[in-house]
Amino acid sequence: MKIQLKLYGLSKMLSDKEILYIELPNNSNIEKLRSVLNKIISEKYLKNNLQNLSKTAAFFSEADEVINDNYKLKDKELISIIPPIGGG
Amino acid sequence: MTLHTALVNTEEKKISSEKANEFILSEKNGAESIFIGRVRNKNSGKKVTAVTYDAHDQAVIKSFQSICNEAKGKFDNNASIFLEHAKGYVSVGEISILIAVSSGHRDEAFKVCRYILEEIKHKSPIWKKEHYIEGDEQWLSGHSLRPKEEIK
Repeated sequence: MKIQLKLYGLSKMLSDKEILYIELPNNSNIEKLRSVLNKIISEKYLKNNLQNLSKTAAFFSEADEVINDNYKLKDKELISIIPPIGGG
Repeated sequence: MTLHTALVNTEEKKISSEKANEFILSEKNGAESIFIGRVRNKNSGKKVTAVTYDAHDQAVIKSFQSICNEAKGKFDNNASIFLEHAKGYVSVGEISILIAVSSGHRDEAFKVCRYILEEIKHKSPIWKKEHYIEGDEQWLSGHSLRPKEEIK
């Protein structure tokens, strides 16, 4: 299955587009997404200070709520990656 | 109306303290506290020319409203609050955040203002990318919203 990951902040270094499409095994959860994301970052983006992103990021559902590691993702689901924040 | 919150797209307009002063003015409130955050020209030894703010718009507005209502509940239910944060490119010296509070007394006005600022830093999904004089740029690290018990 494929999910849509809306990029914010530091994660925008992963793509020039607003949404990154990520291929995952069926019935994957957020924990699996973290592991796939970590692999993508390790292979391509280590130079860009993204090493800890898969560990430190939170994820928001379409309802803008934090979803935990056990959350089961659906095919074509749109979620947001929320890297560590720092406004003000 | 005693609460105004907004993310201001800097391509369309600038944050202005005049609008804030007008909004919080009330004969019931004898104290005003105004915090203005501006982009400074140096950070961690590097010369900064500007900051780009990114934000998850809907979640930011939800968090702003929730934080302001919490502040009122904690310190003064009659406080008037004006809160705006920039989204987009902000040059050195320009306003990135403005919090204006009017309250019955000075102590509450100070406390509401401070509470809102600190909570935003820990709860509102906003990110900063600094632009440096040498032409490079960097996203700044911040506070993780991932539940602490999940981070191993």
